[in-house]
Amino acid sequence: MDQIDIQLLRELERGLLFVPAPFDEIGKRLGLSGDEVMERIGRLKEAGIIRKFRARIDQRKVGITANALVAWKPAGNCNDDPGKRLAAFPSVTHCYERRPVPGLWEFTHYTVHHGYSKDQVLDEVKAVAEKVHCPDYAVLFSTREFKRVPNVRMRENGGGVS
Amino acid sequence: MSRPAPFEPDLTDLAILNVLQEDLPLVSRPWDALARRLGITEMEILDRMHRLEKAGIIRGISPVLESRHLGLHAATLVALRVPEERVNEIAAIISSYPEVSHNFRRDHSYSLWFTIAAQNGEEVQRILHEILDRTGISDADALDLPTVKKIKIDVRFSFLPAQSGEITHGPD
Repeated sequence: MDQIDIQLLRELERGLLFVPAPFDEIGKRLGLSGDEVMERIGRLKEAGIIRKFRARIDQRKVGITANALVAWKPAGNCNDDPGKRLAAFPSVTHCYERRPVPGLWEFTHYTVHHGYSKDQVLDEVKAVAEKVHCPDYAVLFSTREFKRVPNVRMRENGGGVS
Repeated sequence: MSRPAPFEPDLTDLAILNVLQEDLPLVSRPWDALARRLGITEMEILDRMHRLEKAGIIRGISPVLESRHLGLHAATLVALRVPEERVNEIAAIISSYPEVSHNFRRDHSYSLWFTIAAQNGEEVQRILHEILDRTGISDADALDLPTVKKIKIDVRFSFLPAQSGEITHGPD
């Protein structure tokens, strides 16, 4: 990654314009052609720096207002690669393994689920629990969103680029 | 002043939201490419995207960056037990940190849940302890749950009503 790539990521982070040729517009700000911009984006994708190029959507404004973090404590039958099994459900948007706090908080796997209602999310989590044979879980519904931004923001915390 | 009626997306809008969540085609006219897939014109998709953005439904179209490649090598999820009357005040302190990307109140005795990402584990710990110091929350009322493995991040919703009530199926 060179300085131009870093500049490019900063520009891309502002969001593509809704004009017919958005990469040309980005290029103009950096003194590159639209083709050069796409070429660099392609390379950043190959290098795994860009995972995906997509719309960020406020799902609550489209009615998807229920959101739950589910903490799982796999045991017995569920212990065969639980992370992979939980992540395989298309409705699971996030799946993480985390270090537990022994004796206090023994959950090791976390998934995030969204739905049009709490009941829908609860039904879904129950179905997932049955399929992965993991009855030990806690559903933590969000009741207020104080902050939700991409976890990498070039201008704020992506400065430690190697 | 009367408030304008909330914008109600129609089926075409929802179909647009669905395709915009997939990886954008890397071609000089990407909106045109998506419009063709949906059987509409480039002008129509742009028009609708503007409306969806104005309504706050589309927050922006940008790349998802891989934190490990951008200097963020350690992360944790923290849960705090916070007295009810202090939730807003403490949440504001937590949210002020650029290292915090997600901060939610959740329906549990541990009421505030937030993430910290930084260059390394020591830095994550430093920030966590600074937050505890500033808020006066004791270690005993905090759970520190460091990331062992990121298994999946794929934020994608199925907006079309036909699929909205469906329970998705995983592996048997």
